[in-house]
Amino acid sequence: MDYDYIINTAIAITKGFKVTYSLLFTTLLLSLPLGLLIALARISKTRLLQYVSGTYIWLLRGTPLLLQVFFIYFGLPAFGITFDSMTAAIVAFSLNYAAYFAEIFRSGIQSIDRGQYESADVLGLTYPQTMKRIIVPQMAKRVLPPVSNEVITLVKDTALVFGIGLLDTLRTAQIIVTRDFNITAFIIAGIFYLINTLILTIVFNRLEQKYSYYYD
Amino acid sequence: MNILKIKNVSKKFGALEVLKNINLEITRGEVVAIIGPSGSGKSTLLRCLIRLVNIDKGSIEIDGKSMVDQDDTGVSIYSSEKDIRVLRKKMGMVFQNFNLFPHKSVLENIIEAPLTVNRTIREEAESTADKLLAKVGLSDKRNSFPCELSGGQKQRVAIARALAMNPAIMLFDEPTSALDPELTGEVLRVMKALAEEHMTMLVVTHEMAFAREVADRVIFMDLGEIIEQGKPEDVFGNPTHPRTQAFLGQILR
Repeated sequence: MDYDYIINTAIAITKGFKVTYSLLFTTLLLSLPLGLLIALARISKTRLLQYVSGTYIWLLRGTPLLLQVFFIYFGLPAFGITFDSMTAAIVAFSLNYAAYFAEIFRSGIQSIDRGQYESADVLGLTYPQTMKRIIVPQMAKRVLPPVSNEVITLVKDTALVFGIGLLDTLRTAQIIVTRDFNITAFIIAGIFYLINTLILTIVFNRLEQKYSYYYD
Repeated sequence: MNILKIKNVSKKFGALEVLKNINLEITRGEVVAIIGPSGSGKSTLLRCLIRLVNIDKGSIEIDGKSMVDQDDTGVSIYSSEKDIRVLRKKMGMVFQNFNLFPHKSVLENIIEAPLTVNRTIREEAESTADKLLAKVGLSDKRNSFPCELSGGQKQRVAIARALAMNPAIMLFDEPTSALDPELTGEVLRVMKALAEEHMTMLVVTHEMAFAREVADRVIFMDLGEIIEQGKPEDVFGNPTHPRTQAFLGQILR
């Protein structure tokens, strides 16, 4: 085995990490709060908000993520909106994942017992206070497993950005494979994704443990 | 002076009339037990008083101020949200299923509303909470979580939580119905102590012994109507209406 080749290849692939990680973390940072807002709109009493959020979720879950990336990068310039490829990827990924998170959050919120709203209500808490202090904190515990699922999917979905020419981890590996006629780079990329999903799995397990101080 | 005035209150859920023209006046400091078979509308009546449920017809006056009035045809017209908020704060409610906030400790449960609703400073809220915990006999559970408590302890925390908002009227919706029989006593003792302090209390209950011993007045409801009411010794000892007799006959056997 040619250890030098493996090490040099691995170092070359790390150039793709930046794209993968910045897309991953920026998307999480934007899509989680946006998803919560959409979930709250979805369950609000205002019809308009329900329809708008419902349509949003339908559109974003109903079309391929890659199509959304293409649309924002290649399509929006026709309307005078131009993004560089990284920004386009972040926008598309955040909007898309927000739709999935919204449905997860909605199911979490709706799984909270009605009595929680009633007791908050008779104590005088307003609806926003009830959501912020009583419902959403309990929802957070319940949605950890499905959110963890989505985040792991996101790690791998980041590879889709090759479509708009971004040099992420997988694309970088692919270039090396084509150049060297050697699949070592793919194996290294695979290990990279596995390590990242393993770390995230551990992080989410820790979070679940942190929340295990109560049950209901 | 009447702290609660309920006039011609009616409520329908779809086609089902759960409350039919209820009239009731409660004086300050009075302890009223509401008994009756399930589906009689007793819980709905409490829920209407604190506006967890809106009434269709009739009026409700709390402490001399109208929460909901009626027009010439009897249809209910609610006061402004702001006024209702003030009136609702005069009432505390305790639920059958406790409805404690599971993610908050006992102390946090009790100070939640004082902090967020009344903007009380924390030290003050905590010292009130500690007094209330002592009162319900749970000072040692201050930092426990609801999942670590027995049903009876949970319900006592729920009572302390309601009292922390300093209500003038306490509404109890079957407070011991979800408890194991051996745990009802500790909750009823706390309620009895509250009655002795002349708290105005409306208690929907199946605890006939408690109603007999603690209540100033017993109201028997069936099918959305108040069938009979009076002093406990009269209602229990000498019920006049056949439906009351049938119900008590079944319950007391």
